[in-house]
Amino acid sequence: MLQAVIADSHWAIILILLPLAAAVLCFLYARAANIIGVMTLSALVLSVAALGWQIRETGVYHHAIGGWEAPLGIGLYADGLSLLMLTITAVAGLGISIYATSYFKQQDAARFWPLWLLLLASLNALYLSADIFNLYITLELVGLAAVALAALTGGRDALAGAMRYLLATLLGSLAYLLGVALLYHGFGSVDIAILATQAEPVPVLWVAFGLMGAGLALKMALVPLHFWLPATHASAAAPVSALLSALVIKGAFYILLRLWLEIFAPHSGGAETLLGLLGSAAVIWGSLQALRQTRLKLLIAYSTVAQLGYLFIAFPLSTMAGAAVWSAAGYLALSHALAKAAMFLAAGNLMRFGGHDRIADLDRVVQRLPLTAGAFALAGVSIIGLPPSGGFVGKWLLLEAALTQGRWELVVVIILGSLLAAAYVFKVLGRAFTQAPVCQKARAVPARMEWAALLLACGAILLGFLAPFILPLMDIGDPFSASGVQP
Amino acid sequence: MTLLAWGFDGLLLLGLLGLAWKALNSTDLFSAIALFIAFGLLMALVWVRLEAPDIALAEAAIGAGLSGALLLAALARLRGMEGNVTSNTGVEEAPNNIDARLVQWLSAILLLPVLFGLVYGVLSLPGNAVGLSAEINANLAASGVSNPVTAVLLNFRAYDTLLEVFVLLLALIAIWSMGSIQFNRSIETIGKTSLETTSSVLDTLVYLLVPVLMMVAAYLLWVGAHAPGGAFQAGSVLAAACVLLLLAGWPLHRLLTAMRLRLLAVAGPVVFVSMAAYSLIAEGALLQFPPEHAGTLILLLETVAALSIAVTLAALFSGGQGQHE
Amino acid sequence: MSSFSFALAGIGLFVLGLHALIVHAHLLRKILAINIMGSGVSLVLVALARRGGDALPDAVPHAMVITGIVVAVSATALALVLMLKLAAETGSATLPDDSPE
Repeated sequence: MLQAVIADSHWAIILILLPLAAAVLCFLYARAANIIGVMTLSALVLSVAALGWQIRETGVYHHAIGGWEAPLGIGLYADGLSLLMLTITAVAGLGISIYATSYFKQQDAARFWPLWLLLLASLNALYLSADIFNLYITLELVGLAAVALAALTGGRDALAGAMRYLLATLLGSLAYLLGVALLYHGFGSVDIAILATQAEPVPVLWVAFGLMGAGLALKMALVPLHFWLPATHASAAAPVSALLSALVIKGAFYILLRLWLEIFAPHSGGAETLLGLLGSAAVIWGSLQALRQTRLKLLIAYSTVAQLGYLFIAFPLSTMAGAAVWSAAGYLALSHALAKAAMFLAAGNLMRFGGHDRIADLDRVVQRLPLTAGAFALAGVSIIGLPPSGGFVGKWLLLEAALTQGRWELVVVIILGSLLAAAYVFKVLGRAFTQAPVCQKARAVPARMEWAALLLACGAILLGFLAPFILPLMDIGDPFSASGVQP
Repeated sequence: MTLLAWGFDGLLLLGLLGLAWKALNSTDLFSAIALFIAFGLLMALVWVRLEAPDIALAEAAIGAGLSGALLLAALARLRGMEGNVTSNTGVEEAPNNIDARLVQWLSAILLLPVLFGLVYGVLSLPGNAVGLSAEINANLAASGVSNPVTAVLLNFRAYDTLLEVFVLLLALIAIWSMGSIQFNRSIETIGKTSLETTSSVLDTLVYLLVPVLMMVAAYLLWVGAHAPGGAFQAGSVLAAACVLLLLAGWPLHRLLTAMRLRLLAVAGPVVFVSMAAYSLIAEGALLQFPPEHAGTLILLLETVAALSIAVTLAALFSGGQGQHE
Repeated sequence: MSSFSFALAGIGLFVLGLHALIVHAHLLRKILAINIMGSGVSLVLVALARRGGDALPDAVPHAMVITGIVVAVSATALALVLMLKLAAETGSATLPDDSPE
C-alpha cells in the first residue's frame, strides 16, 4: 500500500514546490526560520529518496506540465543523472543547513533562510527541467539567489565578490539565452528531447554550442573564465561558501552535460578535446594556485577550480567509454560536494575559533578542535583521491578509462593533480599540528557546527564503500548513452 | 517591401545601434541613462514594427520606464554620497592611460571573431520557418483566452511564469536582506524638501495621472485575454503609479506597514503555487486548467500576479532604505 | 529580408554591450551594458520569429522576451543596490582591483 503511494506520487514536483512554499513562510515568519528550514531540508532528503525508489521501480519520471506535451508545453524529467544531482543538493544541503542554524545570529538567519530555500527550489527545478528556456529561468534564479547569499554578511570583500559574481553570472546567462534563441529558431523547439532528434551538424548548432558552452563555463568558473570564483567563495560566510562551491557550480555543469549528451555530442566535431584541455589546465593551474595561498578559504576556493577540471577530463574519454566515464564524473561530483562543503564548514569553524584563516597561524588546531581537524583531514582524503573515499572511486574509474584508452597525457594530469592536492592538504594539516609563532586566543565553537562538518566529511568517505549501490542508480533511464533519449 | 518600409526599418536600426553606442560611451552618467531610456522607447517602437505589441507595452513600461527610474534613483543616491565618495560618480574622464586604451583595442580585436561567428550563425538559418504558431493556434480555443501571448504565458508555459514571479520576489528579498544603506538624503526627502515651492504642480499632476494610470492598469489586465496586455504590463503601469506617489512625497510606508507589504508581495507567488498544487491534486497534472474554467482561472492568476508585480517593482524602486526590515 | 536585418542588429547590440562591459570600470556603465545585451538577445529571438511570412505570429518567443524583460529588471534592481552598498563601503563605484590575498 505504502509502495503504491510512493510510486504514484509526484515527488519531483514536491521537490520544487515545497522549498518555494517554505521560503515564503520563512519570509513572513522570520522567527521560525531555523525550524522551518531544517524541517524542509529533511523533507527534501526523504522526497529525493522516494523519487529514487520511484524511478528505480517504474522507470524514468516524465511529466507534461499543464497537460501540454512538448513542443507546446514544458516537461519535467527525472532519470539517474537528475537523481544524482538532486541527492547531492539534498544531502549536502541538509548538512549545511544544520551548520547554519548555529552559525547565524537571529537577524542574519532571517535573511539567510528565504534566500537559501529559494536557491534549493531553483536548483531542484533546474535538475528536473527538460526545456532549455525553462533552464534559463532556473539559472537566473540560482544566480541571483547565490549572489544575494554571497553578499549577506556585508563588508567590502564580500560585496566586491558578490558584485563580480553577479556580473559574471548575468553575462553567462545572456550568452546561454542567445544560444537558446539560435537553437529554437534553428530546430523549432526548446524541448531537449525534440532538439535531440532534430539536431544536425549545421553552423547554427556549433554557434549555439559555443555560446551556451561559454556562458555555462563562465558560471561554473572553468579555466580561463574562473577569475571571479576565488575572491567570491573566500569572502562569503562559511555556509555560503560551502553551498556555492558544492552545489551552485554543479548546476551549470549539469546543464552543460545534459546538453552535451542529448544534443551536441553526436555532432561535436572535436569539441571534447578542447574541453579536456581546459579541464587539464584547470586541474594543474587550480592546484598550483591553491598551493600558493596563505589564507585557508582562498586555498579551498582554488581547490574547487581544480576539482572542476576533473569533470571536464571526462569529455575526451567519453567518446569511447561513455557510461563508465560519466559515472566516474558523477561520482566525483557527488564526493566533491560533500568533501568541499565539509572543508569550507571546517574553515568556518577555524575562523570562528581564532578570528582569522591564515594558514601559518593555525595554532595546534588538532588538539583544540579535534572534530574540525578530523573533518578537514577526512575531506582532504576524498579531495586527494586516497582510498577509501568517494574521490578515490571517481578518480580510479577515470584513471582506468584513460589507461585503457592509452591517453597518457590525461593519466599524467590526473596523477599530478592528486599529488598537488596532497601537497596543499598536508600544508594545512601540517600547520594544524604545530604551535604557531604567536599563540592565538580562542572563542568557543558550537558543537553542532563541528559535527556538521565532520558528518559531511564522513559522508564523503562513506561514498567509497557505497559505490556498488550508487553507481547502478545513476544509470536509470540510460542518461549516458550519447544517442539521446526519451519518452 | 516598399522603399518607404526599407527606409523606415533602416532608420529604426540605425537609431537603435546609434543610441546604444552613445549610451554606452557617453562621458556623463546622467546622459548615459537618459540615452538608455530613449533607447528603450525606440525598442518599443521596434517591437511594434515586429508585430509584437505585448512586448512593446512591457518594454515601454518596464524596460524603459521602471529600469530608467531605478537607474536614475541609483545615480542620485550615488551622487548623494558625494562627500564620502571619490570622483567616479559623475563625469567619468575618458581613459587616457595606456592600460585602458590597450584593453579597449584588445577587446575590440578579440570580439571581432565573436561578432563574425554570431553573424554567420544567424545568416545560416533558413529564410522561412514557422516555429510553433501552428501548435498554438490548434490549442488556443482550449486555453481559455484568445490572445496567443497570454495563452503561452499563463497556460501553455505557465510554469515559466510561476518561476518568473518568484524571480521578482527573490530580487525583493535579496535587496531587503542587504540592510539599509546610509544616504545623506533619501528620495523621499529630496521630493519633499526641494519641491516644496512647486508642490502644487507636482501634486496636481499626481492627482490627475495616478487615477488614469490605475484605470489603464485595470484595463490592460482585463483586455489581456483577447488583445495585447496582461498581468506584467498592468502590474508595471500600477508600479509606475506607486513610484510617482513615492516621488511626490506621499507617505506610502505608513499605509503599508512592513508585514502588509510582505503579504502583498508574496500574494502572487502564493496564489500561483497554491493553484499549481491544487491542479496537481485535482487534475493530476501541474498547472492544468480545465478548458471550461481556464479563462476565469487565468484572470484570477493575472490579477493577483499584477498586484504582486506592482508592489514588488515599487518596493524595488524604494528598496535598500531599510525601513522594511 | 527585414527579419534578418533586425536579428543582425540584435547581434550588434549584444557585441556592443559585451565590449562596453569589458572596457568600462564604472559599475553603472556595466549594468547599462548588461541591459543592452539583453535587449539584443530579445531582438534576435523576436526578429527571427517573423520568418514565416504571412503566417500567424509565433507567440512563444514573444512570451520568452516578456519573461526576459522582467528577469532583467529584477537583476538590474539587485545589481544597483549591490553597487550602492559597495560604493558606500569603498568610496568608489568600481570593482576594487586588489584581490584579498
